[in-house]
Amino acid sequence: MKLTRRQALAAAAGAGVAGAGCARLERLALAPRGSLEPLKETRTRDAAFLAKFGFGARPGELAAGPDRAAWLQEQLQAPAADEGLLALKLSRMEIHQFSAFELRDMPVDRLHQQLHQAVLLRAIHSPWQLRERMVDFWTNHFNINARKGLGAHRKPRDEKEVIRAHALGSFPEMLMASAKSTAMLLFLDQQNSTAAQPNENYARELFELHSLGVDGGYTQEDVMEAARCFTGWSEERGFLRPRGSFKFFEALHDNGPKKVLGEEIPGGLGVEAGERVVRLAAKHPSTARHIARKLTKFLLGTEDEAAWRPVEKAYLETEGNISAMVRAVAEGFEAGLDQPSLKRPLDFVVSAVRALDGSSDGGAALQDPLRQMGQPLYEWPMPDGYPDGAEAWTGSLLARWNFCDLLTRGAIQGTMVDIDAFEKRCEGRMETVILGAPLGAEATQPILEAVQGLEPAERAALTLASPEFQWR
Amino acid sequence: MAMKTDGIYCDGEGRLDRSAPISRRAALTAGAAGLAWWMTSRAWAQASFQTEEAHDNVLVVIFLRGGADGLNVVIPTGEDEYYRQRPTLAIKRKDGLALDDFYVLHPALKPIQSLFESGELAAVQAAGSQDQTRSHFEAMAAMEKGLADTTEADAGGWLARHILATPGRNTPLRAVALSSTMPDSLMGALSALAVPSMADHRLRVESKAMKERLKQLYSRGDDAISQAGRDTLQVLEALNRTDPASYRPENGAQYPETPYGQALRETAFLIKGGFGLETACLDMGIWDTHVAQGAVDGWMAGMLGELAQGIQALMKDLGAEGKRTTVLVQTEFGRRIDENSGFGTDHGRASFMFLAGGGVKGGKVYGDWPGMRPEDLEGPGDLRVTTDYRSVLAEILAKRLASPDAAAIFPGFRGGPLGILQAG
Repeated sequence: MKLTRRQALAAAAGAGVAGAGCARLERLALAPRGSLEPLKETRTRDAAFLAKFGFGARPGELAAGPDRAAWLQEQLQAPAADEGLLALKLSRMEIHQFSAFELRDMPVDRLHQQLHQAVLLRAIHSPWQLRERMVDFWTNHFNINARKGLGAHRKPRDEKEVIRAHALGSFPEMLMASAKSTAMLLFLDQQNSTAAQPNENYARELFELHSLGVDGGYTQEDVMEAARCFTGWSEERGFLRPRGSFKFFEALHDNGPKKVLGEEIPGGLGVEAGERVVRLAAKHPSTARHIARKLTKFLLGTEDEAAWRPVEKAYLETEGNISAMVRAVAEGFEAGLDQPSLKRPLDFVVSAVRALDGSSDGGAALQDPLRQMGQPLYEWPMPDGYPDGAEAWTGSLLARWNFCDLLTRGAIQGTMVDIDAFEKRCEGRMETVILGAPLGAEATQPILEAVQGLEPAERAALTLASPEFQWR
Repeated sequence: MAMKTDGIYCDGEGRLDRSAPISRRAALTAGAAGLAWWMTSRAWAQASFQTEEAHDNVLVVIFLRGGADGLNVVIPTGEDEYYRQRPTLAIKRKDGLALDDFYVLHPALKPIQSLFESGELAAVQAAGSQDQTRSHFEAMAAMEKGLADTTEADAGGWLARHILATPGRNTPLRAVALSSTMPDSLMGALSALAVPSMADHRLRVESKAMKERLKQLYSRGDDAISQAGRDTLQVLEALNRTDPASYRPENGAQYPETPYGQALRETAFLIKGGFGLETACLDMGIWDTHVAQGAVDGWMAGMLGELAQGIQALMKDLGAEGKRTTVLVQTEFGRRIDENSGFGTDHGRASFMFLAGGGVKGGKVYGDWPGMRPEDLEGPGDLRVTTDYRSVLAEILAKRLASPDAAAIFPGFRGGPLGILQAG
């Protein structure tokens, strides 16, 4: 029996509750989401926009009063490569110089540290904020736990050729690249899938997480048939073979005919059988909906149908062009459909450094707080990526507060903020600048009262530690 | 934070690689509906809280993430099909620890054999939800929310609903998840706390003024974070009185030197320290043994050994306090009955549950055996669920956690209790 939401709430609350309690419960439960969120008015629209489509503004950006449409247009045309000092720093890392095969003798912890460092460096310093934000989205969408097996050796290539290469490009192409990424195939046990006994793990997550979504209308039968199509998808193996690169093994492949998502896949296609499955998944209407809803929730913090419908439409009209989808999401922002969403630890750490106009080498001392907050990058064990809801992260507050204290005291090695200079530049309204709040906003009053009489570093720390700064 | 669980993974080339993943996941689905419920329930709970006489029982939930293979835990040695379907993975009767004429325990569970013999440990075989997706996330979400499957309306976690519906100890440490993110089972609970480690749960701010101002900063606001901030500050005050790091286990208890062992140790600290703990949620796993699962030895055997050593240590350490502590071991689903080409098993349906400690009518395997002949199976070759997992959960709430109406916590569930617990 299926219950309506209302019935379930009433039933769940039934124990020990008087009738009046139930009525109240129902009334509140049916109130639209957002009416209970008090934080919406704390920032200017510009500050909110830059917090949602990037990792938050640096102080100067807001003073300039950006033209949001122009900003978006420019960001969507981000050059493929990183530039300047950032590019130089990134190029020095082994993970950016060597292939998975060449990295084989590197210690796993060093690889992890570099992977982590690259994310922090780019998020803090890259002018192409939208791309880095989308990279975070796709990294979690196509999550790989690099602690599993030899994941750390294979993830750098996945990051470059799957995630970064397509972050603002074509979703179907990204899906295909991911399907042939050895980091993904190993993470989801695809290399053990043979004609005699296909392993369903990759096929299942392809449908459930990467494309159609769990309610996308595929069946267990589809998973099993798709798994047959992917048999033989593996990586180079054997002595001195360039392991880490994709290889199709005809001998392990089930060359019989299959039927996936209602489509006949004739026998004898070899590697193309799996490619057809990926293409079928990419063009399935459920995929358009799944990706549109997820992306809209990620960028705008809302599940409002009015916000994601145009994004779904953009997917269908452009065959999954991600830039077109982002444009549609931005229109939802301009229509005021956005909601506050909680910054995950990565978002919080990066936005704090940026808000103080700081710089960082992204090294171990900045990675450690992320781990304490529960988000060591590339280590989420499940294929679904780090959770996105506020409730999942309420336990991270203490670690966030400790981080604010360290950051503003200059106690994080390799990360620099000059609070005194920053405070001077802010001309006596440092808290307002950090929060991106309108001048004289009522919402900042409680914070100003709480920091009254303290030193600049303490005032900055408390502002970053405030409830307001945890939301984007 | 320390990652919760050690796992051993196959790197795909036959080598076993010990790595340090993790804890858990939280629902992708905790969206608008979840939040509305959460806000609502808070408002209601605050309104209806009252101090009633409170039981002092404790529930410790150990969730085996990834779908533990129940057929190789509570092993049906009396079933010929079991041996036919698992040529390399099956455990022989002589290698197991006898439970009755039909079942044996996996030999790696030796540390808890004596609990079974003394009647303090019970097993349930072929338990599960009605989830048909065979997706970790859907199956976990269903179980942690106390639903038949996730097509039912989402009304937060089952433990959260219990906490909201059962006025009792209103302490900041009533419900604790020893993990970095809040598990679905506690999603929506008033003041539930998720921390990777109690010992690291310290405010390290140097300035005293800042500590006070932090309190002021979080004294207002109804959003999730403002409320969580107030809870966090309250917990810190409680912990200021004693130091979890200096806690020493008693009675020669030896916890595994793993994040799971550490979490159990801190659970014992919380139980014995009189913080008003009612529910502790721990994770262990990854039990997703698609490849190189092992049989008497190997990956899964290693995890079972750790699981059992931890439970044994906890019960030992608790001593007399064990009488008020019930341990529940559960997993989102079992695994396919036949082994795959990678000497592993794919996602299946029914699996096992353990109950240990206070109130348990142990020394017995509960649940009807569904059989493993082709006509007994469901889906692509999976063990049928004969015991709705919620009958066990509801019985725990009713008999151990003073729930006034446990059935109401599980809307749509119509089953009865197994009689696996006695009240008290």
